Amino acid sequence: MPGGTNSTEMTATPATRVLGISAVAATAPMILLGLAISPADVVQGEAVRMLYLHVPSIWVAYGSFVLTSFSSLLFLARSKRRPDGGRHYDRLAGSAAEIGVLFTAITLITGMLWGKVTWGTYWQWDARLTTTVLLFVTYLGYLALRRLPADPMVRGRRAAVMALISFINVPIVHYSVDWWRTLHQKASLSVGRRPEITGEMYWTLLYSVLTVTIIAAWLTVHRYRVIRLEELRDEENLEMLISSRRNEKTADGTGHGDTT
Amino acid sequence: MDLTPRHEIEEPGHLRRAIHRRRRWSIFAITVVLIAAMAVITAQGLRNATLFFRNVDEAIEQRAELGDRRFRIQGRVIPASVQGESGVTTFQVVYGCAVALVRHTGDPPELFKSPWIPVVLEGNWVPGDIQTVAGTDSHYFRSDRMLVKHTNEYASANEQRVSESPPLGFLDTCPFKVPVNTS
Repeated sequence: MPGGTNSTEMTATPATRVLGISAVAATAPMILLGLAISPADVVQGEAVRMLYLHVPSIWVAYGSFVLTSFSSLLFLARSKRRPDGGRHYDRLAGSAAEIGVLFTAITLITGMLWGKVTWGTYWQWDARLTTTVLLFVTYLGYLALRRLPADPMVRGRRAAVMALISFINVPIVHYSVDWWRTLHQKASLSVGRRPEITGEMYWTLLYSVLTVTIIAAWLTVHRYRVIRLEELRDEENLEMLISSRRNEKTADGTGHGDTT
Repeated sequence: MDLTPRHEIEEPGHLRRAIHRRRRWSIFAITVVLIAAMAVITAQGLRNATLFFRNVDEAIEQRAELGDRRFRIQGRVIPASVQGESGVTTFQVVYGCAVALVRHTGDPPELFKSPWIPVVLEGNWVPGDIQTVAGTDSHYFRSDRMLVKHTNEYASANEQRVSESPPLGFLDTCPFKVPVNTS
């Protein structure tokens, strides 16, 4: 990176270090609870342990996509009123979407492995699985859109609109098991519905949701800062190029740059 | 990131067009790939999603309409009815007080042995005089694909034993009795 690396270009701060240490510290009991302390299921046996990664992953993905949509909405609404043109909201939307896509991928992979053991197949085109893979592809498209070369504000507006359109699928994914007949079971955790999970298994699941949320928050903060650093690098490069071109012009005195 | 290409001074039109063409192509390619992926997913999903399976009572009710067409049927396996010989597993599935006899070819999934497990079977109706716990029937279901449909209920294996009895309330209103496997 031109200009060298200094402490201000690091993505970690004391607060995120605490968050990171908390994430690592919380993961150890989650592994212990999920793999050893919580009991096997009366029907599924040991396969039930996949629950403690599968369910938290999709909840964190939902949360990330909510954050993406909310930030996109703020970007569209407040870009003219903020000194940075609302780029803060754009960065937040992008970093949350990356983490959402990551955890949707984890959900799909763990779901396929779990499905092979319990259903007897890795994949079926039922409503839940279909809408989930559609969610993954849509947000992958959103991330691709963010990478296309364009003016940052134009790109931000396009991405924000796509983020809001993509979010329509989130409630569809969640309620697909209620709206259609699916091979996938009903939601294990749902607002306003009593969980059908007993004792230690329920608390292990809640603990896992909390742990995965801390990990996701930590990753989101770092991704946000990396995106900001990329922007700073681009701005610095641009300034250097403009300055070097000005110098060449002054030295040449012709108004034409060096074409070598 | 060179935003002011030096060669543009010599060949501005040519290079600008090349860059714009490349950008247009990349946008076009990404859009086409995404639309194609979403179209495949939606087409596959919609075909199956709205009616992934018929419950046993519906499949029996629609038997004439279904003919020998392939479809998926869903019901709970009656534990005492399971018999297996030479790669064919015979058992009865029940849902909504309707019972169907199933002859399934192939290895059932591991969880099939769990009593009263809900299963989704893919196959078709075949004519034949058969006997089920609900009485005589004119067809059986020939299946070659079985998926276990587990529920969202989780219980500790330490505290709860696998019950051979039907799930609470599942057969309460049915006019027939189901034998309980005591072996």
